[in-house]
Amino acid sequence: MSAIAAAPPLLTAIGHDAPRIDAIAKVTGEAQFAGDLRLHGMAYGRLLRSPYARARITDIDTSRAEALPGVIAVMTGRDLPAADPYYGHALKDRPILAIDHVRFVGEPVIAVAAESPAIADEAIALIDVACEELPAVVTIEAALAPDAPHLHDVVNLRPGLFHGLGDIHLEPGNVCYHHTFTRGEVAQAFAAADVVVEGQYTFPAVYQYSLEPHTTIAQWIGDDDLTVWSSCQHPFLVRAELADLYALPVAAVRVVVPYLGGGFGSKSYTKMEPITSALARKTGRPVRIANSVDEAMVTTRRHGMKAWLRTAATSDGRLLAREVRAWFDTGAYADNGPRVVATGADAAPGPYHWEAVQVDAWGVYTNTSPAGSYRAFGASHLQWCGELQVDEIARRCGLDALQIRERNLLHRGESVRPGGKPLDADLIGDIRRVSAGLDWETPKPAGIVGRGMSVGLLAAGAHPVSTAIVRMEADGGATLLVSSTEVGQGARTVFGQIVAEELALPLEKVRVLGGDTGVTPYDRSTGASRSTTIAGLAVLRAAADIRSQLLAIGSRVFDLPQEALTARAAAVWHEGESVPYPDLIKAHFGMVGGELIGHGEVRPERGSGSYAEGPVFWEVCIGGAEVTVDAETGRVTVNKAVSVADVGKALNPRLVEAQEMGGAMQGIGNALHEEMLFDETGTLLNATLFEYHVPSIADMPDTFVSNIVENADGPGPYGAKGVGEGALAGVAAAIATALADAGVPIDTLPATPERVWRALEAREVGTVNEGEARR
Amino acid sequence: MLAHFGPDAAVYAGGTELLIVMKERLAHFPHLIDIKRIPGLNEIAFDPERRELSIGAVATHRDVERSPVVRERFPALGKMEAAVANIRVRSAGTIGGNLCFAEPHSDPATLLTALDAHLTLTSASGSHQLPMASFITGLMETARHHEEILVTIKVPEPASNAGVAYERFKLHERPTAAVAAVIVVDCGAITAAQVVAGSVGERPQRLLETEAILRGQPAGPEMATVAADVIRDEVETSGDVFESEAYTRQLAHTVGRRAIAAAIQRATGEEDGRRVA
Amino acid sequence: MSPETAAPAKMHLKTTVNGRPVSLQIEPRAILLDILRDDLGLTGAKRSCDTQVCGACTVLLDGSPMSACCTLAYEAGGREVETIEGLAGPHGLHPIQQAFVDRVAIQCGFCTPGFVLATKAMLAEYPRPTRSEIEDFLGGNLCRCTGYWNILDAVAVAAGRLESANGRSEAS
Repeated sequence: MSAIAAAPPLLTAIGHDAPRIDAIAKVTGEAQFAGDLRLHGMAYGRLLRSPYARARITDIDTSRAEALPGVIAVMTGRDLPAADPYYGHALKDRPILAIDHVRFVGEPVIAVAAESPAIADEAIALIDVACEELPAVVTIEAALAPDAPHLHDVVNLRPGLFHGLGDIHLEPGNVCYHHTFTRGEVAQAFAAADVVVEGQYTFPAVYQYSLEPHTTIAQWIGDDDLTVWSSCQHPFLVRAELADLYALPVAAVRVVVPYLGGGFGSKSYTKMEPITSALARKTGRPVRIANSVDEAMVTTRRHGMKAWLRTAATSDGRLLAREVRAWFDTGAYADNGPRVVATGADAAPGPYHWEAVQVDAWGVYTNTSPAGSYRAFGASHLQWCGELQVDEIARRCGLDALQIRERNLLHRGESVRPGGKPLDADLIGDIRRVSAGLDWETPKPAGIVGRGMSVGLLAAGAHPVSTAIVRMEADGGATLLVSSTEVGQGARTVFGQIVAEELALPLEKVRVLGGDTGVTPYDRSTGASRSTTIAGLAVLRAAADIRSQLLAIGSRVFDLPQEALTARAAAVWHEGESVPYPDLIKAHFGMVGGELIGHGEVRPERGSGSYAEGPVFWEVCIGGAEVTVDAETGRVTVNKAVSVADVGKALNPRLVEAQEMGGAMQGIGNALHEEMLFDETGTLLNATLFEYHVPSIADMPDTFVSNIVENADGPGPYGAKGVGEGALAGVAAAIATALADAGVPIDTLPATPERVWRALEAREVGTVNEGEARR
Repeated sequence: MLAHFGPDAAVYAGGTELLIVMKERLAHFPHLIDIKRIPGLNEIAFDPERRELSIGAVATHRDVERSPVVRERFPALGKMEAAVANIRVRSAGTIGGNLCFAEPHSDPATLLTALDAHLTLTSASGSHQLPMASFITGLMETARHHEEILVTIKVPEPASNAGVAYERFKLHERPTAAVAAVIVVDCGAITAAQVVAGSVGERPQRLLETEAILRGQPAGPEMATVAADVIRDEVETSGDVFESEAYTRQLAHTVGRRAIAAAIQRATGEEDGRRVA
Repeated sequence: MSPETAAPAKMHLKTTVNGRPVSLQIEPRAILLDILRDDLGLTGAKRSCDTQVCGACTVLLDGSPMSACCTLAYEAGGREVETIEGLAGPHGLHPIQQAFVDRVAIQCGFCTPGFVLATKAMLAEYPRPTRSEIEDFLGGNLCRCTGYWNILDAVAVAAGRLESANGRSEAS
């Protein structure tokens, strides 16, 4: 017996740049998004939204609207056709429509269904709502003040269906969640330190801006049967929430997701489905509600955050301890806030050897639009702060950014957080790739130029529950049923590749159906970089199930044990002899017909898959950047952005790279351009793309260097780990550190031209922060 | 028709700004009068005797940008038009509509003021001309009477020893600071200067103090810096929730310096060795 | 009834869409994007920002890129409208479409029709566009998924393929 390990099987479909299976539908305009669907008799819904951040509704007069020809129904918070009008991912704090109170500017108060959008618009203008305006708290500070009005009775809030974070013990007030942990002896470590860096940081509310705004169509059959077509990322979570709202069995609710025009978390969990389904129920006809972009901007956003951090080290650059306090502004309703807070708390220490860590993070209610998921939440919030401090320590200890990280980064297998999954990546190898991509050793170009790198970890995978079904048809073609949503990342293509690989089929013989809870089986969610890793694993297992059925049939047909047979080139083989799949299936059923059904399932391997026991894998949030600053205007040009996708195995390398490019661009937006500005009345000042800058071609870095690292160290198919979020957090943090390297002290994102200019001016005038970089 | 419908009617050409305000319900006009079909209203021509460019009000930004005579004789104007908004707005939007809408961030308004353009307005009762500098009277207000339409924009060709430059700073969709400079240089000295700031206040502003500082001075880059310091204080800002006054002045200073330096260079023929207007 | 809801008399729109004559009764205030999507079933042009910034609604009017969301349908009268649905022919995808597919320039696909049409207009005017010309022409089309790199790649490939195709047809 040879001592050499068997070579890994040659992969024919995996690891190749298979063309996207949806590319042609999208490039011809045939791909249907929710807004492209028309149902017979469909009515159009529009919403009257609150102009007040906080108010008590004293009177509603809808009579003029109801009298308008073409208006079919008008719905208020007093006549919601739901068993329980409150819902919410983590906490059931959100009414379908405002009931007696409004809590943010833009909160839907009244819904109108009419024969056309224009008539619905007219009807809205005819509705009178009288309110008693109340003092509102629109900032974290105001919400935490001792005499601040309380948005919710937090102590008595019921947990949402998907809280998953353990017991919540809350004091009356505006805190919806508190996440805290301590490791080691923090006070001692700081007392012993040679170097301590301390700072306060501000991170903006950012709008995800997917090109497609939220669009939902709902249709009831009687009172017991609901179908919803929606631009949502998690159809099964939405299904459960709707079934709960209307006290229906889950199978009575069907959620269908057509092609999704981008999500990035803005379409995670339940957004417009409750209000649309309630209005449809009231109307007795299918109803569509389509957000405009300014409505979408007050439907969800990223949490703004304020943080205080301090980091301790020895004089030779060994990190000792970190202390973090972070407050996340979750807006008027919690949505996913607790999970964002928990993830941020976990990301705050950074992937380093610490003797001691103390983290406290709070989710705070304010009278502003609700915050929820956005790509790389948690890591985007806190990675840049911690990394700025690591670089500052490096400067004071005479090390550079690469050296201090090589000295302190965790190694594979070491504990990231107690009880959780150990580190499953080679971070030092990754950061060296970043420095190589930045030409770290070469002199910088002329001008005010900085180079920075950053590495962090994101608890990825969410809850590892997913199922898939493969149907092998009588003609040997395979149809895959999987509910992972195609948000643009190419998940369906990758799943097709997995089936093609496992069943030795050409990709053209694999069809992928997705996103219909009535047809495709349960997948928990699409997000948290989990599609390839978790849903993909379910797909692989379903395909493997088919393969073993084929081999079992082959065994009977060949009259040989299964071990003597292989599946290759759409047939089962014994030495030189083969029987193609259609013939096997015909032999099995005795006719040309029938089908084989394969089932794949993923569920937590340890414990219950709770947040604390995870994550499924650690997503490496890493990036590099070189920037040039125009001192006169403060404008920052990104000369170069570097990404490293530490993915275990790239099932489709070009799709991985495409994710990195898109994530890096969003990171550039987050770091330099994007900020939602609320005024003192809680009104969003920049609710249009005129004043909210989404990066365009003009904002691209001059050069983009992308790396894919494949160490086969993931739990997913072929050793894969997820991708999609790391570049955003990594590149955004790298830009912050690059600016610091350029001599621009940054404590607030985005580093707009004005902020950069002011930082430079302050430096020249001599109000220098401690430990400033020298050019 | 305008006289007939009164305030219920608006002149409509490209509609790029009008339709947005109507959709946002900030304005309401039951009647739109489409003037694009009036013959000749989009023509661009250069009169060699009067040395004057004539642009029909309904010429789109793209028409102006691509006009061979603009490219040859008024390159700064062409370059400015090529950078207005985005390609779709430039394809539909007209230069006349832009001036009449008088949005404070308008690029054409700023440069045309510095170029001493004259506008011809016509109504049922006749025509009259107005200098561009007098056309925009306030925040989104012009001297056009309701029954008049803007028909032509006339731009005199700058002198052979004049340099024209338009510089701006743009972060979001609209520029936040812009300066247009027309500098005439004779025997190494600045004999005339028109400096106009746009996008920082309610409407384009002639910067008379800045111009005074420049006149009579030697034509060199250091004058651009001197003048820019004057711009910083002279410019009137109208306040912006997105940027502070100090920063707006800094931007005006920066783009002002760059515009004046470029204009001086072009006036002295140092750019490409030929006159650039 | 408010003046806004008093429906004005309909007008007759005669236009050509993707080479086919179209004759419709429309309200004078009808927006081109809605006519295309709702009346003609051409849903490739999308509504996103609704304010001419993002380009998701880009269509070509006599070859010029326009924001259909802010164009009166009336403007199409007597003119040629081109939407994404008109690009592919009996021989398959248009070279620009094929380049977008080949260069992985498509992710969620919502911006794709707008980008493809803007590219078509650009390459008609600048067969070999410089980076600066691309930025001027396509800088007003937003994409949130791709980071633009693969789109620029697709544009370069499309330009090359169109040039060779033209070269071939001129030579023959």
